Amino acid sequence: MDLVKRYIAAVQRELPEQKRQEIGRELNANIMDELDALAEQQGSQLNEQQVAVVLKKMGHPTLVARQFYPAVPLIPLQVMPLYKHTLFMVLGVLFVLQVVFVTKNWLAGADMGLLLFIMGVASGFIEDAVFGFTAITLGFALMPENTQSGPCKGYSQWQPLELPAVGESWQHISLSDIFSDLTTYAFLLLLIWFPLWQQYFSEAATDGSVFSEHSLQLFMWFSPFIVLGVLSSLWQLRRRIWSRQSLTLNVLVNLAFFTMFLLLAAAGPLLQLDTERWAVYFSPDTLQQSIRIGLVFFALIPGYEVVRDVLRLRRFLKQ
Amino acid sequence: MTTAQLDKMRLELRRGVLVLAVLGSLRQRHYGYSLRRHLQDAGIDIDEGTLYPLVRRLADQGLLESEWQQGEGRERRYYQLSELGAELLQQLTQEWSTLNNALLPLLQPEQAKPTEEQG
Repeated sequence: MDLVKRYIAAVQRELPEQKRQEIGRELNANIMDELDALAEQQGSQLNEQQVAVVLKKMGHPTLVARQFYPAVPLIPLQVMPLYKHTLFMVLGVLFVLQVVFVTKNWLAGADMGLLLFIMGVASGFIEDAVFGFTAITLGFALMPENTQSGPCKGYSQWQPLELPAVGESWQHISLSDIFSDLTTYAFLLLLIWFPLWQQYFSEAATDGSVFSEHSLQLFMWFSPFIVLGVLSSLWQLRRRIWSRQSLTLNVLVNLAFFTMFLLLAAAGPLLQLDTERWAVYFSPDTLQQSIRIGLVFFALIPGYEVVRDVLRLRRFLKQ
Repeated sequence: MTTAQLDKMRLELRRGVLVLAVLGSLRQRHYGYSLRRHLQDAGIDIDEGTLYPLVRRLADQGLLESEWQQGEGRERRYYQLSELGAELLQQLTQEWSTLNNALLPLLQPEQAKPTEEQG
């Protein structure tokens, strides 16, 4: 009966320490009863092959152990959507913060190209995300409500009257859209205002800006619209359904961005380049020209959003 | 419908019923193998790998009482319905009867059709 002992030991290995002895003892008694009944039926002792057939029929040791002691999920199924939502929100915020942090370092004079910038954001984000993921998962796993079985309290306290009106599928705002907008706004604000803050605190001249003087001036005039964009994104985060008001605000913000990109393209060189240093690698005039064309293409993105949202607003008005 | 779909649905259908069958059988004292034979004789075939853990889970919930005893030269764990288990079985049996009465007419297409036409 060495095979039976091996089978029981394999089941016991998959069980928690305090359950091994008792379950093993009971499983052994049950298997021996099965084997005895089979031997009695055929009128002779069972050989190893026949014992193996009985054990095979019992099931894989891991599955049998799981039947005896079912695994408890870290995150209960009823709070899984809330868990995923929280995780996405926190990871989004961490990404925005990481972009802000790396941009600040870049503007402070750290010697890094585009590749190093992307790597800096990625590595810092992964580091923060691992910590955030662990903290949120542990938080949900150890929440007293989640360690007890039964329906989640949050799902029992709701009012049908608070539900948003029936809308079309486009009315739902995805979290990735909100966070990519927030990241862009934070990046732009830092890019515009960091050289000025640096000048204010160090009382030195603003030689750290990558933008030409008139571009920076234009950016500053548009800063309130960027702040408006941040507020709009925060509003969308709170209520992830497009309404007439939020669409109007989005049209306003995108119209400002569309105008800003076109004005920047028309106003002249965007960047303040050290022509002597860079002339070895490329023609500064060609670069500035390429940037101006790029800005026109960039302007098409908010331009498209303006047209899209105006059409959506018209649909709202027809309702 | 594929065999896998049928197996999955059959498993779901049997899951709750098996608890009822086990609780009903354990009005009398049984050890693991004798319970399985009892259920088999009644027409309910259940794997050992499913039955024995199920009995233990019911015992852990306080629905069964158990004790180790020597029988036919081997120690065996005997199970029987506890007071709480008997109370629960009574309620579940009532629930089962209600469900069964409601379900039977729905599962007979010949009787369901005229009602549908009337509606």
